[in-house]
Amino acid sequence: MSRFVDWLHAPVSPLRVLVLRRLIYLFVIVDVLWWHTSGEYHGWVDGRWYQPLVIGELLPLPTPDVTIVQSVKWSSVAAALLALSGRAPRMLGWTVAALWFEYQVIAFSYGKVDHDRWAMLVALVLLPTVGAVNRRDPRLSERAGWAIRCVQLAVIATYFYAGWAKLRFGGTEWVNSATLTRAVVRRGTDLAQPLLDAQWILHVSQWGIMGLELSSPLIFLLNARWRRWAIAGLLGFHVVTYSMITIIFLPHVVCLAAFLPLERLVRGQKDHVRDPSPDVSVPSPRTARTLLGRQRARSRPAREPAAVVGHQPVDPGGQPRDGRHEHQPAERSPEPTAGH
Amino acid sequence: MTVPLPTLTTLAPEPGDVVRCPPRRRAVQTLCTLAVAVLLGLGAVVGDDHWYPVGPFRMFSTATPPDGYVSAMSLEVRVGNAGWARTALSPRNVGVNRAEVEGRVPEITTDPTLLRDLAEAHARMHPADAPWTGVRVIRNRTMITDSQPTGTVETEVVSTWTAP
Repeated sequence: MSRFVDWLHAPVSPLRVLVLRRLIYLFVIVDVLWWHTSGEYHGWVDGRWYQPLVIGELLPLPTPDVTIVQSVKWSSVAAALLALSGRAPRMLGWTVAALWFEYQVIAFSYGKVDHDRWAMLVALVLLPTVGAVNRRDPRLSERAGWAIRCVQLAVIATYFYAGWAKLRFGGTEWVNSATLTRAVVRRGTDLAQPLLDAQWILHVSQWGIMGLELSSPLIFLLNARWRRWAIAGLLGFHVVTYSMITIIFLPHVVCLAAFLPLERLVRGQKDHVRDPSPDVSVPSPRTARTLLGRQRARSRPAREPAAVVGHQPVDPGGQPRDGRHEHQPAERSPEPTAGH
Repeated sequence: MTVPLPTLTTLAPEPGDVVRCPPRRRAVQTLCTLAVAVLLGLGAVVGDDHWYPVGPFRMFSTATPPDGYVSAMSLEVRVGNAGWARTALSPRNVGVNRAEVEGRVPEITTDPTLLRDLAEAHARMHPADAPWTGVRVIRNRTMITDSQPTGTVETEVVSTWTAP
């Protein structure tokens, strides 16, 4: 369990959160205004078409009309614009999350639910928990690590459970069915039409999709380099899907960025923010030497109180005292350090 | 004898240093993660779409038999006494999309006045257009054999509403 908790909190640069937050707030504006607008038009149709979701009945949410829909729409845009400023990241971030979520509930309360928005919802709710990010602070953060890890998990859960749903609703015969033929007939682009005459490609693709979705959790076993290749492959998959049947899972694609070292995009950080994958969880030896002083480190008695980097007791060589790359907060920290 | 402690706070943080979470926060965050994972898992295993946001991820999850048909609905309308003409079955045109209409076929068949709502939604969104005096839903069946379209498309009127 301890290893799982450490993995869940594997430190990353808070700058990755900073960049990802901006990406998702920009996406919210694009999504609400141009990309996913079915909710907006639902306000015009009679309330008889409204079929409340479970959450709509529990809260309970009102039957959408034009006034409600337009209010939620423009409030989402305004909140996202304010959140882009970086001010009050928690309050504004959660405001965006609540408004965007309500907009999705409006869109999905008429009988059709899209399944590309789980990771975006997780990102909108969790990235604000990191709070303000200091662009000049090069340290890694477990708080940021947890938020990023959860977005990554949400992305992969979307793939895995999409595969699971195919087994649940389509059965094992899904891979040999005519489902992609159906997709092309219903919403295929001109580019996809020739595939109807090359059915074996669609058949093989169904096996590929099922394999990709069910094996997606293995991405967490890859090292940073291969993980980036995997992300590139997934992006390619979504682009091809969009070119064929105009389904791209755009909010999900945006959240794929959680796997990338976005912190390198921050000006001035390129040289000294390193990719924390594989998970980095020890202070650099150079830092520890600087902190302790070489002379003092050599002469310090064995049982003196531990020095602390962050909440981490270190030995004079800058390594954790227990010799592992896992840490517990110092119980006798000489003074508060490196907290939020 | 008291050993003087090294001074730490005056030194700048460096790349690779880690800001830790307090243990209690780590525990709470882990429990929250597990709780949401359980909800999501339940939605995937026994839930349905109306469980959103934790419902199953079921887009294109059903299996279409290789020999049979692919069904897709379309919309036709009339203005005045003119003939039926196809129009977009899209939110921008009638307030709801194709899948939402397809999901309500049993109710539309029983109560065609649901189609009047689409005409009214169109009139509200496009006040410059002439009002529709009739709306009907068409089922188009593209026949397939061995997962390939045969070239035959069968059409059927599912339900019709006509203005009194």
